Amino acid sequence: MIAALALALGVLAGVLLHPTVPTWMEPYLPIAVVAALDAVFGGVRARLDGIFVAKVFVVSFVSNIVVAALIVFLGDKLGVGGQLSTAVVVVLGIRIFGNAAAIRRHLFRA
Amino acid sequence: MSTPPPYSGNPATSLLVDLVTNTLDPGYAEAAARRAERPGSPQRWYDRPVLALGCLLVGFVLVIAYLHTNRAAPAAARITSDLAGRVRSAQATAAALGRTADGLDATVKQQRNAALSGAGGLSAALSAEELAAGAVAVTGPGVVVTLTDPPTPTASAAGGRAGTTPLSATHILTDRDVRSVVNELWSDGAEAISVNNIRLTSTSAIRFAGQAVLVDFEPIIGPYQIRAIGDSGSLITRFVQSAVASRYQTLTSADGIGFTFSESSKLNLPASEAPDLRYATAPSSTAPRPTTAVPTPTPTR
Repeated sequence: MIAALALALGVLAGVLLHPTVPTWMEPYLPIAVVAALDAVFGGVRARLDGIFVAKVFVVSFVSNIVVAALIVFLGDKLGVGGQLSTAVVVVLGIRIFGNAAAIRRHLFRA
Repeated sequence: MSTPPPYSGNPATSLLVDLVTNTLDPGYAEAAARRAERPGSPQRWYDRPVLALGCLLVGFVLVIAYLHTNRAAPAAARITSDLAGRVRSAQATAAALGRTADGLDATVKQQRNAALSGAGGLSAALSAEELAAGAVAVTGPGVVVTLTDPPTPTASAAGGRAGTTPLSATHILTDRDVRSVVNELWSDGAEAISVNNIRLTSTSAIRFAGQAVLVDFEPIIGPYQIRAIGDSGSLITRFVQSAVASRYQTLTSADGIGFTFSESSKLNLPASEAPDLRYATAPSSTAPRPTTAVPTPTPTR
């Protein structure tokens, strides 16, 4: 309940504040989105598994974003930017898929 | 949660298997285990605020990304469609203005014919001049010459990305080819010529700009159909014997371009667009007139 409320509040804040993304941050935005989705799916699955802990959720979300951004940043500096972004998206995408499958098993028992 | 099957083998493969089977953050399992050790206090005081903060951040990030993407993408699309719309409306305006001009032109001709009906030879002289200037649509026997680019793109030996063919390889015919055929037809005795239904006059230009052939600044694309009105028998005989015709016959087998010509008993050529008339005028009386004014030496100092 409180989670949904906070989510709606975050969306509202984004819409109302309308922040412009600085140019240097643009490459990290897609990675941040995938990391956020990964954290959300992981949290929902942990909740359904009955082992959800708020601290783990937030820390994993923030650290996911930081580490993903760091990898992309390093890749940019070392000349393998696009490829490393792809690696991050693939890894997080696999996790999202796996968690989504687990959520589906929980909800539909199938 | 089921434990992943023990896997022995290539470490890279085991990494992938681990990636696919252990999709949940291990932190959750560890936290659950820790909690199981200490059954008391199932909830900490900061659980709810932290959860709210996390969800807030997630929503914020997602909506920023959404807004950012959708703000950037439609801007580019909007500019493109805006430009396309402006081009189309300008084209429509030009076409409407052209129709108006044609209608006014017809009115002018009608009025002039009415005014000149009593003048006898003047009217006939005028229509002969108009015919020569390409100001009226004409019909008569003649020759049709068609130049076609190669039907299949020739394999590109030159640079460019794989799978693409440079435009110059598919469009090997340029203004020079059209112009040489047109000039040959003029010298063979053609009286009126049109290229892709654009009538040529004595002021027409056949140019090349940005991979498109321009006839009187109107871009045309192949196949280039050049129709010439004249004495069709002698026209085609002289054209066949010309160096231009034999050159394109040779190119037909070498480059795969299409080059055909035929006699036609009746061709209808449109009138050319009304040309901009430029008149020579005598300089005004205040200007120095070299015929009468004697240059007077002026003291230089």
